[in-house]
Amino acid sequence: MPQTPEPSVSGGRTDFPDENDSTCSNLSNRSLRIAEKEKKKSEAEAPLSVALTYFSEVKAGTPVLGNDELEGHLVRLERTALAQGLPPHAVSIMLEFAMSLRMTNAITSRVLRFLVPASVVPQEAVLRGVSWLCTQKLSQSNQLLFLRWVLTMFDMIDCKDNLRAIYGFIFSFVTDESMCPFICHLLYLLTIKEHVKAYRVRKLLDIQGKMGRQPYILQLLALYKVFSPEMVPHSVTSRMRTGFRNHDSTWKAPLAALAKRRVGQETPSMDLVLGLRQKPNRKKRKFHHLEVPDLAPAMGPNSRKGVCLQQLRSFSELLDNLSSIELPAQMGSLLSSAMALHYLDCVQDESAFLRLNFWLGHALQEEFFAGPVEGGQESMAEAAHFLSMLVSTQHFLQEGFSATEGFLCKFLEVWDGFLHRPQILELLSNIALVPSSQIKQVLFDPLMQLYFTSSVFFKCSVIECLSSMLRKWLTWHSVCAKEEGLNISLNNRSTMSLSLSGFLDSVLKLVQFVGRLTSAGLQLERCHTLLLHHALGFYEMVSDMYLKYSLPLFVMLPPGVFYPALLAADPIAVDRLGRIMFKYRQNLTHAKEQRLKQKELYLQISRSVYEEFNTYLVTMVGFLWNSVAFGPRSGLAINQRLLERTKVANYSSSFNLVHHPAFVNYAVDFHQQCWPERTDMDLNSIQAGRYWDWYVEYLYTQGFEGLRDFIKVSINPSATRQSTAHPLSQPSQSG
Amino acid sequence: MLKPFRKVPVLNTANLLLVENEEQLQSRLGEIILQIEKDVKINVRLARKLPLPMDTQDSRPRIDLVVFIVNLMSERSLQCAEKSIKCLDPGFFLGKVCFVVTGARCLSVSTNHLLTVRKMAASLHCPLLFAEDQTSEGVSTVAVRLLGILKVAAGLVPLATGLSLNSLAHCVLPSDLDELDSLT
Amino acid sequence: MDPAVRNLLLRILRKIPTGKLEETLTKWTHLSRTQQQSLNYSQSKWILHENIVYLCEENGLTMKHVSELDMIYCMENPTSATWRACQLTDAEDDASSVELISFKEQFKAHLSELIRNVSIKIKKHDDESIWIRIAWGDHFSKPNHLKPTYVVHYLQTPYVFICNLSSKNKLLLHQALVLATKHGSIKDANLSGRSFHAVRDLLMGHYNKTFPTSHSRPLKERNLSPTHPNIVKEHIEQAEKRQQLAREAFGEGTVPKLERATYTLETRFRGGSGIDTFIDSERPFKTVVTFESKSLLASLRHCVSSGMAESPVSPLLSSITQKGRNYFVITDKTNKGPDMTTQSFRSNV
Repeated sequence: MPQTPEPSVSGGRTDFPDENDSTCSNLSNRSLRIAEKEKKKSEAEAPLSVALTYFSEVKAGTPVLGNDELEGHLVRLERTALAQGLPPHAVSIMLEFAMSLRMTNAITSRVLRFLVPASVVPQEAVLRGVSWLCTQKLSQSNQLLFLRWVLTMFDMIDCKDNLRAIYGFIFSFVTDESMCPFICHLLYLLTIKEHVKAYRVRKLLDIQGKMGRQPYILQLLALYKVFSPEMVPHSVTSRMRTGFRNHDSTWKAPLAALAKRRVGQETPSMDLVLGLRQKPNRKKRKFHHLEVPDLAPAMGPNSRKGVCLQQLRSFSELLDNLSSIELPAQMGSLLSSAMALHYLDCVQDESAFLRLNFWLGHALQEEFFAGPVEGGQESMAEAAHFLSMLVSTQHFLQEGFSATEGFLCKFLEVWDGFLHRPQILELLSNIALVPSSQIKQVLFDPLMQLYFTSSVFFKCSVIECLSSMLRKWLTWHSVCAKEEGLNISLNNRSTMSLSLSGFLDSVLKLVQFVGRLTSAGLQLERCHTLLLHHALGFYEMVSDMYLKYSLPLFVMLPPGVFYPALLAADPIAVDRLGRIMFKYRQNLTHAKEQRLKQKELYLQISRSVYEEFNTYLVTMVGFLWNSVAFGPRSGLAINQRLLERTKVANYSSSFNLVHHPAFVNYAVDFHQQCWPERTDMDLNSIQAGRYWDWYVEYLYTQGFEGLRDFIKVSINPSATRQSTAHPLSQPSQSG
Repeated sequence: MLKPFRKVPVLNTANLLLVENEEQLQSRLGEIILQIEKDVKINVRLARKLPLPMDTQDSRPRIDLVVFIVNLMSERSLQCAEKSIKCLDPGFFLGKVCFVVTGARCLSVSTNHLLTVRKMAASLHCPLLFAEDQTSEGVSTVAVRLLGILKVAAGLVPLATGLSLNSLAHCVLPSDLDELDSLT
Repeated sequence: MDPAVRNLLLRILRKIPTGKLEETLTKWTHLSRTQQQSLNYSQSKWILHENIVYLCEENGLTMKHVSELDMIYCMENPTSATWRACQLTDAEDDASSVELISFKEQFKAHLSELIRNVSIKIKKHDDESIWIRIAWGDHFSKPNHLKPTYVVHYLQTPYVFICNLSSKNKLLLHQALVLATKHGSIKDANLSGRSFHAVRDLLMGHYNKTFPTSHSRPLKERNLSPTHPNIVKEHIEQAEKRQQLAREAFGEGTVPKLERATYTLETRFRGGSGIDTFIDSERPFKTVVTFESKSLLASLRHCVSSGMAESPVSPLLSSITQKGRNYFVITDKTNKGPDMTTQSFRSNV
């Protein structure tokens, strides 16, 4: 019997897992090979170290074909690596083995593909890998594979200062056409200010001339521009859309599995005082554009100067290290950490915002404009979750990202009005002030087309969204106006600044736009109550703009909203209309006083506003109080003969507080309380004498406070109820 | 040539013509519309293209709204719609035509096609609706929207006409596409 | 066990998906019941294969047995390589009297006369087809079992299906086949595909053909009509016509799965006098058009029935099913004037 078995058998046998032992031992007595197998097994106590020794010592030129020892070791390592990752020294050995090309390119490729680190990748290993790359021995596909590996594992490299030191070497690879995208990405991650040199910019521009405007070169140039704006011509970066792609497809699954396992092992240690945002367990998806990366530092913990956000545990620590914080490698991770958001909020770091916007822009573009959605419900939910996170981030920062705004502009153009409606409208309401020259095209045109062809509930949510947008603009203005006087810069990070008139212009356009939407919408929807209330809610804010937000702008509500509200069957609508009229009156009166007092020049209120207000006032008082509905002085004058043909007896009094369809049940109730014994109902008797005053008091007790305010200031409390509306006088000197 | 006023309208009835070359979306849309609407009798006619065959002319009711469904991923779909439009009486363009496009979010394929459809809809002053045909919610959303337009166009909504709705909701071509680019 | 046998066994095992392994091994019958039960199919493939190899070693199996496993798997799953169809012609008078035993003997005898070192294995399948596995060697080398040729023949039909045949051995095989089946010659049938069953069905007409009729069938038979009475299709008649045309051209129900159809156009440039570069009328102008799909016939049928392709169906497409081939050469009608624009089909072998 041969004592040495064929190598092929021994290669695999040592590796039988335990659960297989029973079946094997059943067979074992019959063959000597089994005995040998057992022997081998006991010899190989730490198979991983044996394999590693093999790979660190194997000579170049060892045959590969039929080398079962190699195969056995490879399989063992592969299995360990994919199951639990490789320890740092194993990563070093295997990377060295693969990159030195001691066996064929095929083996190198195989090793690289399973090279999944368990914890960290030693920087030295990567450095040696790059130096092997310089020898140009590897096949091209393996060169690219190595670069993709480095990019994927970048966050796991324990320290990057030496890598930064060989920046020039890495940069020299950009001339290689196939490696260029990956090299650019790697450089993008490594670049610090000292690396930005004029000759590098020239080189990149040169390459760009040869290869066309590739997004990866643009991205790198944009980063250079952030560090040294004077070196990079402006035209280069002005029209940039997408960022870098992910290259991690090869290692995605094992890395994800490892991460999951690690999370299971050490759960609570990441609990910051400020609270790390919860990240739901994502299921597998075809595209992972929206995967928010984990917060991982771009520099190792032992690097010289930076402190990474991940290390900080409390707010006070954050404050202490504010000046020396190192941004993470993947900017998207900022979104998932409350700490990072605090940092972003208080640091005016333009490069951070630029990078975050790149990431965001790319993620949104890929997710929403790359084609038909696959994966159904799951991916929809994921996209919705991502957008919600974006919403809450923006709420936290109280500021929109420019990438989001760009995305919204594009998305509105092709929106069906349903997809992610809550999030989209919420994001839309956060949009920063749009200059009045563009507001129509960017916002109004697409919204108009959606609004008028959609259901009444969509109409309501659009009005809601625009109200909230206006409120945010106004709030922001009232804060800024107090701080900075009249010269308002639109956004402390954007270069665009607006004068007050520009701001007024935009607000005016928005209010007029909502006026158009609401009046036409109410007509289309037959004065739908819900829509009416949304419209009234909007005008409650508009009517109070001067006093509450100190914005000298007066826009009356359109007749298309006023009359439906006045004639509504819903008492609350009439009440809200009363409050709106009351607010208008207060604001106008106050503005007039201010004007007389201070002679402020900017406070020009056009004559037509007063006229409109007075018409509304007279109409409203005529309808509700004086029983002169549809009369010649009211805004809703109708030919008398026509009215008679309706066969309604007292048409002129049919909308006063007693007969108004909104209040008639209150009138009935009041009637019953006044005359409980009377069987015949005569509501006209309420209109007589003191009963009217009592009835009005009774209405006040029912909670119609808007109506009360309106009546108190608009109607002269004289005994006679005729012609008592208080019109506002126009300022005589108005020009 | 399809004419809008050749036949008299029937009380409480609205008739919809869905034109789609691929026949992917039209029957689903028709079924959903019939499912939602209970008060009014709706007739749905499905066609691949215009002109319609002569032999169904007598049984065909008066059409209140013609909807062209264009799949932006397909060149052919667009060409077919472009050809079909020529077979409509101009009277239809006073508030009785609308476009529905699908696949608009695939920018790499559909940008140019989308621009063509936009230009077409804008020059004809018709509404242009975007639909997500991949999800059932997306399909029912567009069905609800079409039903709303149909009821207006058929004169079933007081105070509103197809023409007035068109004037509010018709497609607008961005005046300067470049300007938009720079903003996004 | 001989390393070559072991190697072959491992290679075959790797080819078989784990899901089908158990079934295939059962059919093979060279592992005992208890041996089969001792295998754990949930283990990793690598270990499982090692265990099987070990069991085979124990049973002392040889190349003969192992190649049988290959054959069993191939007969059950004949989709691993491209199958080409050939047609026997010039049948002799007694061709129809050939039966299995004589065919077997004749084929083996003729082939081994022509070439030494060839390993032939012949099996009869349940559906009367004869499966032949040939491992080729030559005068100096042993049969190579790693790349065997498979040949399938239905007795009393002129069709032979071959896969994995190198051009070197083509003549030898053809000659042996011609002699064993008592035919005069054999030619390429211009049909090939990944699925043996599809190629066979297409050539032998074993699928749901629809024959042209002037009557359209009642509507209910097909699911063309909309579900709701208020939905009316304007183009229903055209749609039915298209469906009918599509069925006539490409069959009904599940059709054979063909992956591609290739058209080679050989023509001369005709046209404007201004362009001189192309008017080299002596040299033919070659164009190749290939249609590819997972199931080409189903795709084409859908194209026609959904109206994507203009009807009537082009004879170029419908001849895939009618002539049972997927490689065509289209040439000009010879020696006509320069304004001749039609092309004719030539059965070009």
